[in-house]
Amino acid sequence: MAVASHKEIIYGLYDDEQDLLKAVKKANESHLDIMDVYSPFPVHGLDPLLGLEESRLHIAGFVYGMIGFLTAFLGMSWVFTKDWPIIFGGKPYWSVPAFIPIVFEMTVLFAAIGMVVSFYIVCGLGPGVTNAYLDDRITDDKFCIAFNKAEVSESAAEAFFKSSGASEVSHKII
Amino acid sequence: MNIFNLSSGLRTVFLVMIGIGVLCLGITFMTDDALHSRFWSNMLHNSVFFTGMAIMASFFIAAALLAYGGWYVAFKRVFEAVTAFLPYGLGLIAIIGIGNYLHLHHLYHWTDAKAVAEDPILLGKSGFLNSNMFMILTVVFGGAYVFLINKIKSLSVAEDSAGFDSTFSLNSKQRYWAAILLPVIGFTSVILIWQWIMSIDAHWYSTMFAWYTLASWFVSVVCFIILTLLYLRSNGYYQNLNQHHIHDMGKLLFAFSVFWTYLWFSQFMLIWYANVGEETIYFKERYDNYPVLFFANIAVNFVLPFIVLLRNDTKRKVGTLSFVAIVVFIFHWVDFFLMIKPGVLHTAHEALGHADHGAADASHDHAHAAEHVSSIVSGFTFPGLLELGTMLGFLGFFCLIVFNALGKHALTPKNDPYLEESLHHHV
Repeated sequence: MAVASHKEIIYGLYDDEQDLLKAVKKANESHLDIMDVYSPFPVHGLDPLLGLEESRLHIAGFVYGMIGFLTAFLGMSWVFTKDWPIIFGGKPYWSVPAFIPIVFEMTVLFAAIGMVVSFYIVCGLGPGVTNAYLDDRITDDKFCIAFNKAEVSESAAEAFFKSSGASEVSHKII
Repeated sequence: MNIFNLSSGLRTVFLVMIGIGVLCLGITFMTDDALHSRFWSNMLHNSVFFTGMAIMASFFIAAALLAYGGWYVAFKRVFEAVTAFLPYGLGLIAIIGIGNYLHLHHLYHWTDAKAVAEDPILLGKSGFLNSNMFMILTVVFGGAYVFLINKIKSLSVAEDSAGFDSTFSLNSKQRYWAAILLPVIGFTSVILIWQWIMSIDAHWYSTMFAWYTLASWFVSVVCFIILTLLYLRSNGYYQNLNQHHIHDMGKLLFAFSVFWTYLWFSQFMLIWYANVGEETIYFKERYDNYPVLFFANIAVNFVLPFIVLLRNDTKRKVGTLSFVAIVVFIFHWVDFFLMIKPGVLHTAHEALGHADHGAADASHDHAHAAEHVSSIVSGFTFPGLLELGTMLGFLGFFCLIVFNALGKHALTPKNDPYLEESLHHHV
């Protein structure tokens, strides 16, 4: 998730994903507005707790796939019937079964590349981009809950981290 | 409710279905041609279809054990129950095998000694395509499947009463037998498919055919298990299954429908492209005389599951998933209809149209002429009511065996090392 600059963040690190899940539940119960949660791997059951909507990336993937399908199919149809008709193996110019493997490959290619590019754009990733991050270890073995100090008071956040078993609490401006 | 109780109402339904099937088989036999080819091809069609489902359930168990699969463990008894049909199905096919010796039927052209002697292609294949090989391979390979899957099942059941064992020795023994069963089914089922189905078109062969048939069986058994699970869940059993289990079964249905299409198309495209007469005849026959079924087969078995099950939520909703499972199940049965009937019809026409096999060419012409005259023949070029009734009968028999087997042991196993993982399955 891209983070806009100059936010005052208070964050707590947890050692275990079960602690993290309990803490997120607890934050929801006490109506603390979580800015974001960071984890080294996808944690089962976290998305519904955070109220995240289902990703729409796969819908985009379907659209890219359809574009690839049509590009390949219409492209080959045009080439082999209008632009440069050639007889292959005594087959008709417009021999659909022979197109299908290429149509399939192009569908997969367009869907795959389109989804990767979309994902990078949505997440603000890409070559040469540096993103602010809270802590090195959230890509390794720590699970992190972050609050924006503009939304949650520092004392409330600290009390929450203490009671929910965070192993460390830190501040950072990003 | 961890023990399934086959209610007398359900048992009656199955028995009525069997009754309908027997009645339809009887009517078919009475109204049939002199060779009873419609009767015997219906027997073969349904025996092969349902036996193959039991074989693929065994294959699934072996594959999942070897892959350390955990998600299906909570309902692995359903897969195990489906394999209980295996000995019965092999018995049905053995009847066909006995029919080869006694010349009760004329399903396989290679059982006709006179035709084989005159036909260099059949003569060349006669070392493999003969009544003895059909019987021996069916019994030996089928017997091996029954023996091995029963080993796995008895170990799986023994786990229930064995208590906790920190070395999980019963589970690793199951894996040992699965490691034998998997290659045995993988290699030998192909040979059985050549014998049972592909040799109906005795001159024709395709290296993709066995894979394609296996995929068809697999999709059918996945449909059957989805419907069984949904039925059991709506009747108060398997309340520990969540939507993720159903979702994963839906994924299997989706994935193997695509896999089936891949094999169907690969077989079709190579034959279409090479355009070698002796190979193309297989598709020409079906394209000319069975156009509706030929295109409906690919449309329903590929396009329908692909479009409907592409989304996440349609694999979880009972309505969409069971709709697709029912339709695809029926159309994979139709797929087997398309594999079996044209060849049987052709062989029957050849045998009936020309009593003495003196002039092979003349009999060929006659056979083709007969097919063109009767463009739509219920029971041959299209499944008639008698075929559907016979299918119901076999389905009732299949369900009776499977649900009986399901009632014998706890629905959710105990002490399986992957049970907890399965109960908390989340995708």
